[in-house]
Amino acid sequence: MIDPRLDVIGKRLEPVKRIIAVSSAKGGVGKSVCAALSALAFGEGGYQTGLLDLDFQGASAHLLLDVQLDFPEEESGIKPLRAGNSVDFMSFAAFSREHAVPLRGSDVSQAMLELLAITIWDPLDFLLIDMPPGIGDEILDALRYLRGLEFLVVTTPSRVVLHVVERLLAMLSELKAPVIGLVENMVRPGSDSAAAALAEKYGTALLGSLPFEERIDDILAEGANGAPLSGDLGHSIRSITDRVAAFRA
Amino acid sequence: MHEWALAEAVVSTVERLYEENGRKTVLAVNVLIGELQHIEMEVFSVGLENILAGRPFSPDVFHFEIEKAAFRCNACKGDWLLEQHTDLGEEEREAIHFLPEAAHVYMRCPFCGSPDFGLEKGRGVSIKSVDLQELCDD
Repeated sequence: MIDPRLDVIGKRLEPVKRIIAVSSAKGGVGKSVCAALSALAFGEGGYQTGLLDLDFQGASAHLLLDVQLDFPEEESGIKPLRAGNSVDFMSFAAFSREHAVPLRGSDVSQAMLELLAITIWDPLDFLLIDMPPGIGDEILDALRYLRGLEFLVVTTPSRVVLHVVERLLAMLSELKAPVIGLVENMVRPGSDSAAAALAEKYGTALLGSLPFEERIDDILAEGANGAPLSGDLGHSIRSITDRVAAFRA
Repeated sequence: MHEWALAEAVVSTVERLYEENGRKTVLAVNVLIGELQHIEMEVFSVGLENILAGRPFSPDVFHFEIEKAAFRCNACKGDWLLEQHTDLGEEEREAIHFLPEAAHVYMRCPFCGSPDFGLEKGRGVSIKSVDLQELCDD
């Protein structure tokens, strides 16, 4: 039996200049927040930006970006939804809404292949992928099917998180997958972190830190509705996305 | 009309095999259509014909077989068919049409109610075989 979807994924992603997996081996570090903030910052910067939520079981990017979950329009495939004014968006949640998504690994792979095969992306400078935590099916499939995939790795200052994130960096290094750098999230004033040392150990960069922000949900919703990202958070994410844009593997 | 995207995938595979095998004539492409995805065959066929325009394959070589969707519960080991799910609403069927794995969101084992079941067969579009003309010496 031949799976024809494998032969069309490359074509579907031809209009996309760069595909970036926003990843972390640890849950709860703010991957979705970083992916959503980065998408908004790229959009503000005039880049054509897409966001694909591959965290099927914990899909939340639509909540962060206040996306109206309608079935996608169909043309010669399905058209991405719109997040705010500037971000093209696709997620399993477009079909599962707010129901639980009890999938085993093989089903996760099938769903991912289907979304990659039928979503018709407009030309994009960046397609950000909000990855699930861990080093499971989604990340292995992404490495297998998405040519030129780059990684943006999210950590927090926590020693425990850094330990777990190191496992992902070690695996990406072993696979020679391009790592753009680390983003340190939820940083409080005066917090001491070994994130820079970890980045250096794996020959990558600490791209910047995002401050812990009580109002993060509101800020993202406001950003999705057109308000520019302001304050320390806005400055920090723009600095990070500038470095991501300048990165060359 | 996302059937067109799937038809394009089938053509892409045939095209790859055609190139990899020295452009031998394609005699038959046997496509399996899983019942779960609710593919509209007329839309799929029109998409296929459009995509094939200008390519060296006739729509006539494409043959379709509909495969019934069958499930097995991982919890109670019960087996059942899609047609037993008379409880699915239009929106739920539509979601499964777009993404067959949405079945796990909207369906439950009819015997024990578990969401932990596997799809044994009949998911979506796959290619059973592609027959190419063998070249003769004479």
